[in-house]
Amino acid sequence: MYLVRKTYISPATEVAELINENYHLLLFLEHLNIDFLVYDKTVKQVCEENNIDVNVFIVLGNLYNGLFPNKEEIHSLKDIQLIILFLRNSHLYYKNEVYPKILNYISILREHNTSNDIALIERFFTDYFNEVVEHMEYEDKIVFPYFTQLLDNTQDTDSDFSVKGYREHHSDIEVKLSDLKNLLLKHIVIKNEHTTRRKFLHTLFELEYDLGIHSSIEEKILLPLIENIEKEHSNG
Amino acid sequence: MDRQRIHILLLEPSHIVSEGLSHILLKSNHRFSISQYSDLKYLDTIIKKEQNTVVILNPSLLQNRNKDFIKIKNTYPSTRWMALVYSYFDQDILRKFDEQITITETAKNIISKLIKISQHQKIDSSNQQATLTERETDILIHLIDGLSNKEIANTLSISIHTVISHRKNITEKTGIKSLPGLTIYAITKKIIQLDS
Repeated sequence: MYLVRKTYISPATEVAELINENYHLLLFLEHLNIDFLVYDKTVKQVCEENNIDVNVFIVLGNLYNGLFPNKEEIHSLKDIQLIILFLRNSHLYYKNEVYPKILNYISILREHNTSNDIALIERFFTDYFNEVVEHMEYEDKIVFPYFTQLLDNTQDTDSDFSVKGYREHHSDIEVKLSDLKNLLLKHIVIKNEHTTRRKFLHTLFELEYDLGIHSSIEEKILLPLIENIEKEHSNG
Repeated sequence: MDRQRIHILLLEPSHIVSEGLSHILLKSNHRFSISQYSDLKYLDTIIKKEQNTVVILNPSLLQNRNKDFIKIKNTYPSTRWMALVYSYFDQDILRKFDEQITITETAKNIISKLIKISQHQKIDSSNQQATLTERETDILIHLIDGLSNKEIANTLSISIHTVISHRKNITEKTGIKSLPGLTIYAITKKIIQLDS
């Protein structure tokens, strides 16, 4: 998980090579609806075949490699809908795959343990989970449609959306996830169930990794792009 | 996020130098995360409010930007600043940094300076055990009771500033930041009872 080597993704890089270096990019491909059977194809070829904007691929993919784009790169991104698709797909991944997996680990731990502490963890996670689901639904139902309208220039003026509230919510989600990790690593005593705990923690780290990228795409890439468009519209 | 990781923002106009330094750091097996920028103008948008952020900066970028620099420095008091020096700079400029490295220095040296400087910012680093002081425990209990910083300050007859600094220490020591997380911490450490 800790990046000790980084490859800057460019159009001529072979996709299979990238995945061999950093398998987290599999998830990245999935979020873009790209199949894993990539043969010897380069980034450019894979993008063309999948009708994917190569600049978006490069900027988002490089985030998985720990490389953050500069302002010029961010503002050169044209296909904002593709970024939104990516974010929607990652919501599905959290909601349908990661969170149920975590809930399952917690219930296994509960079954084999009478400790009250696990009940507390379960409660903490359920509250957290509900908060996250609510936030994702808010994005899927209000934020993203608002962005889409803005892109199509068909927005209605009284949207519920507020950039400030939006930003604050994110940091809260990341804080609680980090708390959960630290509770398990430093404070909560759970006897036995070694394997389940390892899987549980592993899943939390995977989630944190993807969620961190997800938030930085929203906050550092999507929002500035949207703010730009808002500005253009109010000037026009 | 990850408290142990040192977040490095590298502001260096030369691509070669920037890449070279990043490469050395990433190869070192320490947990660095690095972002590279070529200009100071991005700085304000990229500093994360995380602990353990070190900005490595080529002082030539500060030309005519001294005021901006001071302003950013004041906005992020826990960030540490390191000058990357390979030409002559006035001591007045270099004094504004917490530490400096030169381009001829060994990798080992650079890394040990980075680690030293990043640990510098930890509050109470001598007292890193997860046990809270009596005062911190009091504050934790009040927090869980739902009191605001101001109310805690009034109750304990201390300044709000002191409350905030205690809260910071609580988070540093426990690794827990959110109120629900702290509540679980307090229950498992028997600081509060489940039914209270």
